[in-house]
Amino acid sequence: MTVHNLYIFDRNGSCLYYNEWNRKKQAGISKDEEFKLMYGMLFSIRSFVSKMSPLDMKEGFLSFQTSKYRLHYYETPSGLRFIMNTDLSVPNARETLQQIYSNLYVEYIVKNPVCVLGHSLDSELFSSRLDSFIRGLPFYSPRAA
Amino acid sequence: MADEAPFQFLHNEVIQYIYKSAETDNGRNIATLENMGYRVGQGLIERLTKDTARFKDELDVMKFVCKDFWTCVFKKQIDNLRTNHQGIYVLQDNKFRLLSQLSAGKQYLEHAPKYLAFSCGLVRGALSNLGVKSIVTAEVSIMPACKFQIMIQKM
Repeated sequence: MTVHNLYIFDRNGSCLYYNEWNRKKQAGISKDEEFKLMYGMLFSIRSFVSKMSPLDMKEGFLSFQTSKYRLHYYETPSGLRFIMNTDLSVPNARETLQQIYSNLYVEYIVKNPVCVLGHSLDSELFSSRLDSFIRGLPFYSPRAA
Repeated sequence: MADEAPFQFLHNEVIQYIYKSAETDNGRNIATLENMGYRVGQGLIERLTKDTARFKDELDVMKFVCKDFWTCVFKKQIDNLRTNHQGIYVLQDNKFRLLSQLSAGKQYLEHAPKYLAFSCGLVRGALSNLGVKSIVTAEVSIMPACKFQIMIQKM
């Protein structure tokens, strides 16, 4: 039961924040390329999902899973995108991502006058609160399953 | 004083605006912010004390500022009040509302004085309308705790 990593993108595609807790294997490409790949993939998958949907769509793309991990996606009305990779024991992390947005992002970044929206998030307060929040989640444990 | 978010956002914008419209970064910006706080403090204390009894002495005035005034503006009381009984008071707030979202430690320490100037003026204005002339300064070593030092000026 664990969280592998977390990405935060703004609506223009720039990666504002990235942190990993339990990542055994790296992607093999530079971090910049990895962020571009992630954002590009999500953009395509969202438009694919909405085009191919047999019914009217409500939320759109929520998550995908492989045999080893699950990727959860949450997009705020303001265009901020939260992506979290966890292992398969976590069925739905949408609420967690929502909490990260309202209790951490809004509190420590939006209300922080020194943090410019759109630039990468430097606030140490945000990082440390996010870290303790993730470590405090019921489905987080330091050793990967 | 229903929700503090509008005030915090407005306060942050005021500071950004003053710093952007001033070409040189000298002490004038801090003085401008402090004077704005002065006017607001004067008006605010009138509203807060319109039904209270007159204050017995200076210490009573300071206690009112630490308890009721601080609760009204910052939703909490001052954590520690010290004085040397000769006109110097030090008010310590361990979790100052306007700094608690900035950082919890040393990051952004150089930006802190900008965010304290308005509050210094607020205290100075409140005291002045209660009949106490003073000079208020603030210092911060570890956010979000900060100390306001009040020097009473005898007329």
